[in-house]
Amino acid sequence: MSCSDRFGARTGVALVILGMTTLAGSVRPAAAQDEEERARQVYQLFKDKCFECHGSDAKGDLDLRTHKSMMKGSQSGDVIVPHQPAKSLLYLLVTHAEEPPMPRKKPKLGDAELELIRKWIDDGGSLEAVEEAAESSAAPDARDKLKAEERPITDAERQQWAFQLPKKGVIPRVDSPAWQANPIDAFLMARMSAKGLKPSPKADRRTLIRRAYLDVLGLPPSPEQLDAFVKDSSPDAWPKLVDELLASSHYGERWARHWLDLVRYADSGGFEFDVDRPEGWRYRDYVVNAFNKDKPYSRFVLEQLAGDEIEGLDAAAKDEAMIATGFLRVGPNLGGGERGRQDALDDLIGTTSLTFMGMTVSCARCHNHKFDPIPQKDYYRIQAVFFSTRGVEHPLVPAHEVEADRKETARIDGLMRPLRQEKRELEAPYLKQLVDREISRLPEYLQVAYKTPPAQRTEGQKLNAAQVEKTLQNDTLRAKITEIDLVPLMTADERAKHKSLTDRIDALDKQKPKPYPTALAIADSGREARPSFFLHRGSIDAKGSAMTPGVLSVAAWTDYSFPTPPADAKSTYRRRAFAEWLIAPGNPLTARVMVNRIWQHHFGEGIVRTPSSFGKMGEPPSHPELLDWLAVEFVERGWSIKAMHRLMMTSEAYQMASDDTAANLALDPENRLFWRMPRQRLEGEIIRDQILAVAGTLDRTMGGPNVFPYIDPDLFEKSSKRDWPGKPDEDPTTWRRSLYVFSKRSIRYPFFETFDQPNLVNSVDRRNRSTVAPQALILMNNAAVVLQASKFAERLAREAGSDPAKQVTRAFLLALGRDPSAEELAKSVAFVRSSPRGLAEFAHVLFNVSEFVYRP
Amino acid sequence: MHHPTDCVCSSRSNDLLVTRRELLSRLGGGIASLALVDLLGQQGLIAAESGQTGLLSPKPQMIPAKAKAVISIFCYGGVSQVDTFDPKPDLLKYQGETMQGVGEVRATMGTPGGLMPSPWSFKKYGESGMDVSELFPNVAQHVDDIALIRSMYALSPAHGPALFQMNTGSILAGHPSVGSWITYGLGTENQNLPGFIVFTDHRGGPINGPPNWGNGYMPAAYQGMQIRDTGSPIVDLKPPAERTESEQRKWLRLLHELNEQHASKYPQDTELAARIHSYELAFRMQTSAPEAIDISKETAATKKLYGVGEQPTDYFGRQALMARRLVERGVRYVQIFSGGGNFEPSWDAHWDLKTNHGLHCAETDKPIAGLIKDLKSRGLFESTLLVWHGEFGRLPISERMDGRDHNNNGFSVWLAGGGVKGGTIVGATDQYGYRGVENKKTVYELHATILHLMGLDYEKLTYRFNGRDMQLTDVHGKLIREVLA
Repeated sequence: MSCSDRFGARTGVALVILGMTTLAGSVRPAAAQDEEERARQVYQLFKDKCFECHGSDAKGDLDLRTHKSMMKGSQSGDVIVPHQPAKSLLYLLVTHAEEPPMPRKKPKLGDAELELIRKWIDDGGSLEAVEEAAESSAAPDARDKLKAEERPITDAERQQWAFQLPKKGVIPRVDSPAWQANPIDAFLMARMSAKGLKPSPKADRRTLIRRAYLDVLGLPPSPEQLDAFVKDSSPDAWPKLVDELLASSHYGERWARHWLDLVRYADSGGFEFDVDRPEGWRYRDYVVNAFNKDKPYSRFVLEQLAGDEIEGLDAAAKDEAMIATGFLRVGPNLGGGERGRQDALDDLIGTTSLTFMGMTVSCARCHNHKFDPIPQKDYYRIQAVFFSTRGVEHPLVPAHEVEADRKETARIDGLMRPLRQEKRELEAPYLKQLVDREISRLPEYLQVAYKTPPAQRTEGQKLNAAQVEKTLQNDTLRAKITEIDLVPLMTADERAKHKSLTDRIDALDKQKPKPYPTALAIADSGREARPSFFLHRGSIDAKGSAMTPGVLSVAAWTDYSFPTPPADAKSTYRRRAFAEWLIAPGNPLTARVMVNRIWQHHFGEGIVRTPSSFGKMGEPPSHPELLDWLAVEFVERGWSIKAMHRLMMTSEAYQMASDDTAANLALDPENRLFWRMPRQRLEGEIIRDQILAVAGTLDRTMGGPNVFPYIDPDLFEKSSKRDWPGKPDEDPTTWRRSLYVFSKRSIRYPFFETFDQPNLVNSVDRRNRSTVAPQALILMNNAAVVLQASKFAERLAREAGSDPAKQVTRAFLLALGRDPSAEELAKSVAFVRSSPRGLAEFAHVLFNVSEFVYRP
Repeated sequence: MHHPTDCVCSSRSNDLLVTRRELLSRLGGGIASLALVDLLGQQGLIAAESGQTGLLSPKPQMIPAKAKAVISIFCYGGVSQVDTFDPKPDLLKYQGETMQGVGEVRATMGTPGGLMPSPWSFKKYGESGMDVSELFPNVAQHVDDIALIRSMYALSPAHGPALFQMNTGSILAGHPSVGSWITYGLGTENQNLPGFIVFTDHRGGPINGPPNWGNGYMPAAYQGMQIRDTGSPIVDLKPPAERTESEQRKWLRLLHELNEQHASKYPQDTELAARIHSYELAFRMQTSAPEAIDISKETAATKKLYGVGEQPTDYFGRQALMARRLVERGVRYVQIFSGGGNFEPSWDAHWDLKTNHGLHCAETDKPIAGLIKDLKSRGLFESTLLVWHGEFGRLPISERMDGRDHNNNGFSVWLAGGGVKGGTIVGATDQYGYRGVENKKTVYELHATILHLMGLDYEKLTYRFNGRDMQLTDVHGKLIREVLA
């Protein structure tokens, strides 16, 4: 909790360090000497009684160590009002006239000391004299400060499971031969047996294929695919199916979404105006392709963090690597200035450490991590890795085209310039006329300010005169006087000339070359890193030592040194070195974190159930030996994600049924030992994909710019700054997979939002899965869903003819991957028959049944 | 870490499962008692039903408190304190001059001018003698119910971050809003209505858009739901036009039967039971939501109180009246945004302050006063917390000749109703009304106080996300005890 000091928490270590030396013995008036002496005594008093909190700690923002820092005041405002002790907060607090009494939790100052302070404030309350006298002194504080930056890691902390290198242990021997072949099964079975749990029986084939399709592709199997698998009696039917699915390009679309949640991907900048990023999708396509091509995870990590620092790539590979650095650009826009820059870096550090390391390094921005061995210095050393980055628009055309574009734009600008000048000259006399008229209507004090000759204006009049001029002549917001006001005042000739100039400027503007495609990418500002600093309490006003780049020290078993970049480098190579540390054999986190994520999506929960929190605030692994085995296996198989899918999906464990087993539930109600495959509510995106697939309307086009399905305009602003160019529900170009729906940070697609899509701002490792009435409303009543239900009905009529029994059977097969039970069939047929629109109504019911929105 | 006692069974807050037994006992019986057909026949009784899916079920207060609901009136764009609740005679005395002794004055949108006097005069009201300008003659009649904080300050002078701070505590996007925290902590009393409802201005919504009432990293259940003033109040509330009511009943019956059959195979699965229940709630919401905001049956006198049917108060007056109806029906948090879009349509008086604040105050003064009177006459004032503020205040110097620029250094906000000590003035700004100088209050403190007044301990109401126990007030905040009755 925050500091209980009345000044609140945060900020402020002064850079000027003061000590005490004797005043120089120059001759000065006695009164001045008295004042200096008082200031010196006050300073000594502060040092003895106040510096403990209001020195380098700057509690409540108050640092009393220099005149300047003292006069900055505290979080509560000024503490010294010169010559007015009764109005000076500092005096009121030390005299206990105001709360809280100071010095905190210490005896009240003596009367003589209080009188000294009162007189000193009467003098003016200055410490400048002391400061002048003490310039070059020394260092106990500096030493303290350096010490405050250190936070050694203990051996015990290094022993925590997540920081130990994963090792392959002995695969347990288990009783069941079927559960011995795949090490995953052996590890799981050993734990189950020990606990008295029995694994659930194998799921039936229809369940298996539906599970695998929804898991790997996010789309349901067609009746034909289903039938083929059910009838395939060969022993390798299942692994064959797994391979087929992993070869489908829909796989990348499905698994890219999991990754995009982690990197808080969106197509707009968020914040005030939420400006669109029309080229942002290129990063999304990069991720889809990376999964589809089974790009080694190590390479995937390297490209996203440092694609711009990889040498020796051909043009296409270079473009791809640059697009990958979009990882560092897809986050939300943050505020401006140094503070905004720090927030933006924090977003990068936070997302990078959660995503790749499963660590909450952001907690160490203002102090050493409270629970994990993450020193604040690690935070600022990692910040130094990213400090020199800047966003670039990487051209996706050859250099000569970029150059031609630049030249042509400059040529046209050159032609426009004199025309614009001529136009301004034409307008000038009329502008003056209108300005004068406006001025005559102003309040008197503003008129006086404006008319007073500049040299004689008071400070206030200077400001007001400048404001009047700027507002009337040069204001784009208030737009007091514009062409529209000026043109009617002109003569006919002038008007004609004005119009001709305007037309010529517009015509030139249209000749400007169309923008060439670019990618949102990252580069460094140069070979030399920009200096960055340790920030005490995270405050930009409390800079500490200059920082060299570093990694997470508790996870670095050897001292990791950052290489010097080549002489001709345009980059610091720091991000590359950081990425290389992440994927080096000595890194205990990277492989573990990623295999756990893959596991999490296949099995519903991770082996570590807090997939981005491998620290003390997270949960320990349920099967540490299995997690280690998988992590090592992952690296041994060349960081192949598809190899991990295959390994996990061909386990017996993946193929278990999801039924309740009373005995198991009693022992392990949360399925922590994976005795069954849990049913899982599908994500909003996948429910929508499934609706389109089942209705037979899904446009399977891959990649490229996003689509804008209809959103009720009442759900977003009428403000001109925010728009959603939604197409009608009937427009088939919007029937693309949900991955291609534009993700605008301030206008979320309601269907996804209602089903717990993350907020597109924070890195999210595991989605919420809530069940609330608005989900029912949207599936029951949303016009796009109703439209697709009617398309589904048309498909049923087309494929199953006019017999309601056949229609219902086909519908169950398409939507749920199974035949209806006799009871379901009877009820459904009766429903279809009961009204002329019965089939469409029935089709719509199926989009709403629980079974439809769950992965079995 | 706080767990809503009846919704979480593991140690993580995004585990949303309840145990089967818990759910059924809350629902008052087994799955059979949930049968939709039964409920469909009992629509008249729905308000008394206590069906829940867990996340939004009512939860006990952590500390005793009178207020059960919040109505937040957000003057988007930023209200000028020196023209409403914080009189500064020095603005006239030193008109056109610069401020002395305040350091560099930073303007956000314009260039700084000299001091600009307020176009409005102030008068003292009530036993407390609180000063209020001519802009709020009706609200002024209730000063003895109001606790005014004159020394509020915010972290940012830009709308986006300042709105986020006022609404979510952080100047950055991605955090749950105050309404989300309160519905997370307390649930809501009426399951047939959303627990957190938002009205935006007819001229548009505020900058940042819906993330202003977003659930951040919490489940979607805790986000504010926007209510429309025309047509169906909630998007997707009404069944497709071609489906008659009896057809809808048939439709729901088939769905229910298929879902029941499926759920019976997994008797231990509470999620499936909750899902069936969510359709029942959705169905009931179709009736209860339009009824809740239907003001046609309010008496002429009540409507008059809010300025409904008159200009310029009609629009905001309707929203204020709807807010009362919602609170009366157990909605936990209602937020009304006055002002929308950019510049003139909002309170963002960068120029022509006189027209801007003249209009926005005239639109809201009578309805706010009417709301206070109406709540009182219905005995709801003591159980409702009213909060009035913008995202920041405005500068005492001129911008663009006759406007005022953003000012986050010192501005006025007020609280009234349940648990609030009326007639109180907390803190003060300097002689110009530029920055808080006495008893300065942070937005964290305002939030801590709002939670406290609602019976929530701001230090114990936490939500775990990405390895951190998050709090509305982060690591800051303390109570503004002066406003507590």
